[in-house]
Amino acid sequence: MKESLLDIICCPLDKHDLELTVEERDEEDGEIVEGLLVCTDCGEEYPIEEGIPNLLPPDMRE
Amino acid sequence: MSDDGAGAGDDGAGGAGDGADEGVPTDGESTRDALAERRGLGDPVYAPAEDSGLLAEAGVDRARGVVLEVGTGSGWVAERVRAAGAADRVLGSDLNPHACRAARERGAEAVRADLLDPFAADSLDAILFNPPYLPTDPDNEWDDWQEAALSGGESGRDLIEPFLDDAARPLRPDGLVLLLVSSLTGFPEVVEYAVSQGFDAETVAEESYPYETLSVLALTPRSDGA
Repeated sequence: MKESLLDIICCPLDKHDLELTVEERDEEDGEIVEGLLVCTDCGEEYPIEEGIPNLLPPDMRE
Repeated sequence: MSDDGAGAGDDGAGGAGDGADEGVPTDGESTRDALAERRGLGDPVYAPAEDSGLLAEAGVDRARGVVLEVGTGSGWVAERVRAAGAADRVLGSDLNPHACRAARERGAEAVRADLLDPFAADSLDAILFNPPYLPTDPDNEWDDWQEAALSGGESGRDLIEPFLDDAARPLRPDGLVLLLVSSLTGFPEVVEYAVSQGFDAETVAEESYPYETLSVLALTPRSDGA
């Protein structure tokens, strides 16, 4: 996931901004491979796994 | 996979089901079987087909700026739009994690999402959507990823209507939606619904196939803000 994607995505539940925590970056292109997106309003957490943010609401994840 | 005993794989041409002996299948089930056969069941990700080609062409011609393909599946349409080079960036979203991985492999910025839920207001210049649109009998669903990629519920519009309900929000005021619509889904109904949600609608591509006519609708937010 490119960091600039933060300008385009939001919390799927309340549409507020997401705050990014990076756990692993790709050394070549700087993309976020593993990390966490947290809603600045409701606090819901959305994982970034294998470079893909999972922005499904918690009840739809599995 | 199918437990309806209709023998989806017999001869391809409207396999004799119970009482449906016309050559061309017209009910949702046999049409679905025919389409499913053409498209190859069993893969967890929808493979590009005629509808994908039509949507990709429209996207290459018209999608600019920040482009999102909703329900990107294999990511093939998104890849075509990106390869054409006229868009600034191309995103692909899908409910299906296998599809998200496939789309990322093809170079789209993948996001696992339910329709437009996690896309911010005024963030997109173009939204492409080839929705799951086959009308499906609720008692005869497959309940797997392939069904999620094909089935549009009883009307065929179960995903199209919620998509249109929300499409104006993430779209910039001068943005554009390119929506693939099949005659199986009810073309006039989709146009009417889009208009009721504040869009102007124009058909920008159309092709006929044995079981359906496919159209690409270009939807733009009406400037009167209705």
